[in-house]
Amino acid sequence: MKKHDEGLKPTCREVHRLVSEGMDRELSLVERTRMRLHLIVCGACTRFNGQMALLRRAMRELPPPEVPGDTPP
Amino acid sequence: MTATLTLHHQLEAMRPQLVRFAQLQLRNEALAEDAVQDALIAVLEKPERFSGQSTLRTYVTGILKFKIIDNLRIATRERQIDCDDDQSEDDVIDALFIADGHTRDMPRPWGNPDDALEQKDFFRVLEVCLEKLPAKTARIFMMREWLELDTDEICKELAITTSNAWVLLYRARLRLRECLDLNWFGKRAVE
Repeated sequence: MKKHDEGLKPTCREVHRLVSEGMDRELSLVERTRMRLHLIVCGACTRFNGQMALLRRAMRELPPPEVPGDTPP
Repeated sequence: MTATLTLHHQLEAMRPQLVRFAQLQLRNEALAEDAVQDALIAVLEKPERFSGQSTLRTYVTGILKFKIIDNLRIATRERQIDCDDDQSEDDVIDALFIADGHTRDMPRPWGNPDDALEQKDFFRVLEVCLEKLPAKTARIFMMREWLELDTDEICKELAITTSNAWVLLYRARLRLRECLDLNWFGKRAVE
């Protein structure tokens, strides 16, 4: 365990990491619970969580449709 | 015949953009050209497979992704992946937090996601941000988020550990978040 992950209450540093790792692996029940409880009370991490979701959605839409007439003939 | 010509024309129009994305992933122009060429030929050889259920762009992109995944597998066997960049990247994480683990700054609100995703310019900025990532970080991030490979597969292809992969992906997301924040969301907030 890293030094920031050991407290009773998770820090933003831990929760940011969990938000990202949660996109790549299944978090443990303990990790999920720590993250969710923190997100309820933390605006910064909630925003970060939303930004990560947007980033994923955007990547799945690549390449975006070009505007008609935008491509050279 | 006319339909084939039209299809050919449409595919040619997509080619430059597809090559750019293939190159973001493969980091090699010749390989990118080859992958796109293979994908376009595959579509032209069996045009009847395109059912019109998705857009042609989505269909071709799907095929291109398969071609790139094949290509990555061959490339992995043939040469060792460069593991050098990102040595100083702990800064990317450290810079966000103060000593007690709280965020240094409140992240800027990004507004309604649909607003950004409806704008072509947003994707241009995203593309530039992807180009700015260190090569290895970009490759692994594109494998995960564009080719949608799972972490185990990525680790197998790149011969890295899962924890290494999670850290690289986290750093990629932080860098992209910052780049988009500065070059898209920040600029719009000012207007």
